[in-house]
Amino acid sequence: MTSTIITIPATSILLAVMVGVLMASGAYMILRRSQIQLVLGLALFSHGVNLLLFGSGLLTRGNPPIFDESRSIAEQIGQMADPLPQALILTAIVISFGITAFIIVLVARRDALTGLDVVPGELAPYLSAVDPFASPYQIQSRLRSSADEDYDLLQHELDEVYDSPDVELPFQEDPGIYADEPES
Amino acid sequence: MNLNPNFLAAPVALPLIFAALMLSISRWGRYSSLRLQQWLTGIALSGNLIVALLLLAYTLTGKRLVLQMGAWPAPYGITVLADTLSALMLTIGSILALCILPFAVATLDLHRERLGFYPLMLILMMGVNGVLLAGDLFNIYVFIEVLLMASFVLMTLGGTPSQINGGIRYVILNLLASMLLLTAAGVAYGSLGTLNLAQMAQRMDLAPDSIRWVLAGLMFIAFGSKAAIFPLFFWLPASYHTPHPAVTALFGGLLTKVGVYTLFRIFPLLYPTLLVTWRPMFFVIAGLTMTIGVLGAFAQPTIRRLLSFHIISQVGYMIMGLGLATADSRFGAGFALAAAILFMVHNMLVKTALMMGGGAVELEMGSGNLSAIGGLARRYPWLATIFFIAAFSLAGIPPSSGFGGKLSLLQVTFDTHHFTIAGVSIFVSLLTTMSMIRIWQYSFWGKYPGSRATAPPLENSRRRRMILAPMTVLVALSLLMGIFFGPSLRLASVAARQALDRDGYIQAVAPQKLVAQPEQTAAR
Repeated sequence: MTSTIITIPATSILLAVMVGVLMASGAYMILRRSQIQLVLGLALFSHGVNLLLFGSGLLTRGNPPIFDESRSIAEQIGQMADPLPQALILTAIVISFGITAFIIVLVARRDALTGLDVVPGELAPYLSAVDPFASPYQIQSRLRSSADEDYDLLQHELDEVYDSPDVELPFQEDPGIYADEPES
Repeated sequence: MNLNPNFLAAPVALPLIFAALMLSISRWGRYSSLRLQQWLTGIALSGNLIVALLLLAYTLTGKRLVLQMGAWPAPYGITVLADTLSALMLTIGSILALCILPFAVATLDLHRERLGFYPLMLILMMGVNGVLLAGDLFNIYVFIEVLLMASFVLMTLGGTPSQINGGIRYVILNLLASMLLLTAAGVAYGSLGTLNLAQMAQRMDLAPDSIRWVLAGLMFIAFGSKAAIFPLFFWLPASYHTPHPAVTALFGGLLTKVGVYTLFRIFPLLYPTLLVTWRPMFFVIAGLTMTIGVLGAFAQPTIRRLLSFHIISQVGYMIMGLGLATADSRFGAGFALAAAILFMVHNMLVKTALMMGGGAVELEMGSGNLSAIGGLARRYPWLATIFFIAAFSLAGIPPSSGFGGKLSLLQVTFDTHHFTIAGVSIFVSLLTTMSMIRIWQYSFWGKYPGSRATAPPLENSRRRRMILAPMTVLVALSLLMGIFFGPSLRLASVAARQALDRDGYIQAVAPQKLVAQPEQTAAR
């Protein structure tokens, strides 16, 4: 095996730095508590991964991957960009686009259900902000038991739904702990 | 027996065609379309099972079935490959889906059925089958995305607040893991110049240690996150208790096991040396996964939350088997992987039966809170019996399949003198037994507190049969596996030997020697 001196072009370094920056900022934003930043962070992260895929082909300019028959293939193959990573990126973009859209719908739905732009597992500080003298036990009891929360889906009748022609949708939105908050 | 390779497209094409057909008729009428959809799903899943059984019969002779899509030769086209491991997983997956179908028909509400439960179930099966048969890394990624997309929608189907909440965690953590898998694909293509698993295996031997470690680490994190191993399992207990019990049963049996399958496929094929050098890491992760899973289960107040933690705990045993995969026991090489594969199959059957039983109890009582239920043994003795057998099969009490699986795994750890992990796994088995006793005692003994459900599914005799019959089938399969443990172990060892046979895999994909160009690979 002959040792070849590999010169790293400036574009590759720039690309590597960009991948790092995109992934790092994506990871930072995913760790934020706000849901919008979460979605943006996921988008940045997936851009970073796509750029990494892009860099796995050869980076050249003005060299489409079409062989010139007058020259030897071995001579040309090292100079032209590999088209396969771009096909991979296209697939990855479509997938991450679809999932991002789905997450946005989920976040919007949760926003509509709870009216809060934070992760509901973190509600205790908000509740204690309302009542600064509440003990942890009181905060606990004001939160709906998560064990009860699982059974929203059981609050409808199976037979009745099957038999009656006109029945309202089985899932009533339960205002839960936000019941005493005024409608905005 | 000769099988046309084009047959391999059926496990992906069949569910896809039927799902498309069902989506196009889903707006017909009010009930007629649903009845039709249920029958069509049944037909598609039965067809899937028949194809899987044929593939299993073919591959059990030690052969592999390879399809090069569009007759493009191996490194350029898409390779689809079935060996005994994938055929076995295909068969069990089809059996599970077929068993969950009557359960879903009996328990699902009209709302969720009309939102497209049945087409989604078929698309999920298509993704699972695709992962099992894929012969290159990028197709594994694509099919994992297909099954995840279907599972995202199934997870949030119905749209209750708890489902949306659990769904967001599930989607985001799984999406991150998929992105790491895509990163692994990018690094693999940049450094090895190929994504075909056979060619990757060939070139991985020439690759420097740094690239091998980076790729193995990325893939272990990505697939391990799907399999819910120790530091990466947090998406599972946050979400698995929220959807409809039929969906939980489908996920609990299938999805994490697909992650374990990819680990079983990738590691012996691409990184046989790392299986030895990374063994301490595998053991630490396996031990922590087992222990934390079972301890987490003790803290849970409801049936399905408790059972979801047990999924994690059981995955630990499979990772332990993976760590031992290349170890020599007194029963020869590959015995540990065979035991792990058999344990995985046992777990898929039993876990689905338990999830169905737990789901039936929750639907019947209108609550899964262990303190709010009880006294079901007298009302539904058959449910109590089946649940009892399944629970003690999970814990590993003798005539069941869990006993054989754990015993053979333990045998290898003792043969190779890994006494710490053996002790941990025995201790975890004990805790699993305690946890199972707890769940059975609370739900079936004691005083019947009265049901909160408005339409308990078990009270209707037709629905009760549709819930109990598939559970009985699964538990019977598990018992048969436990009683005829020798033959099933021989079957699994065919799968294990094939999974460990790298040269056979490479030769099957490319009968002529793949063009290995070390100079060019190094220059990239």
